[in-house]
Amino acid sequence: MHAVAEAMTGRPDSFPLPERRAQGSAAGAAQERVAWPPGDLAIWIFILAELAVFAIFFAAYAFARMGELELFVTYQQTLDTNLALINTLALITSSYFVVRAVGRIRADDAGGCIRWLAGALLLGGVFLGVKSLEYAHLFGEGVSLSTNTFYTFYLSLTFFHFMHVVMGMVILAAVAVKAAQGHYSREVHTGVETGASYWHMVDLVWLILFPLVYVM
Amino acid sequence: MTAIRPETLVWLLLVALTLLTWGVGQEGLNGPAVSLGLLGVALFKGHLVGDWFMGLRRVRGPWRWVIALWLLLPGGLIALAFLLAAR
Repeated sequence: MHAVAEAMTGRPDSFPLPERRAQGSAAGAAQERVAWPPGDLAIWIFILAELAVFAIFFAAYAFARMGELELFVTYQQTLDTNLALINTLALITSSYFVVRAVGRIRADDAGGCIRWLAGALLLGGVFLGVKSLEYAHLFGEGVSLSTNTFYTFYLSLTFFHFMHVVMGMVILAAVAVKAAQGHYSREVHTGVETGASYWHMVDLVWLILFPLVYVM
Repeated sequence: MTAIRPETLVWLLLVALTLLTWGVGQEGLNGPAVSLGLLGVALFKGHLVGDWFMGLRRVRGPWRWVIALWLLLPGGLIALAFLLAAR
């Protein structure tokens, strides 16, 4: 599949190794910049499509808030920012773990890659657990999609993101399994970079969502 | 002594900026200036993720700026809506 992707895109199968880049001079490092982002190009097209949807969602939230400012400010205060903080730290840290996983496979250390991915998956599980607690509390209070405009946006936006976390965890788990089966190495690891890029997108979206919905 | 990886420093910076955002919320600070400040912090965090975690700092050409440009789209619209709401 990687060979097919390479043939179609005309780009190398894997992102240049950081170790090689680090050995060059500053001028050499600039010259070693690559034309394509890490991972399969297809995942980047998918990421851009996902980001476009979230951008529309964020803008819709902001303009709906403009129309019902008092309601949004009032009901925003019913949200638990401590749980949101835990979730933000969990996603940021899991993204960092994924960076380390990519670094390990580039160093031909599949075992290390799997361990960092397992850590990232664990933190993804923390995110889902905390978010589920948050939903359970709100549903227990009788909140639903039709309670008011704020909760319509809050529930739909965060649940849409929740499903992306689930999808990202499925991808990371599949990458970890393939790594355990010996499919990835220093030379061939586009799959790891592809899964990593998707997971970072999930983190990126939450970094905007957290202040917008919980704090601002 | 082992040097700290740049990615580790970026992670620590992301954690610090997250705590700052949360702290502003805990203090109950509000108003358009605070909101735009928090939005700026969020966009900067997103840029860090794009550059250092997604690896775009090592990419040349249009893909280098794809996340930065995306951040400007919702960022600009959110800023506009918050400024209009404050009028």
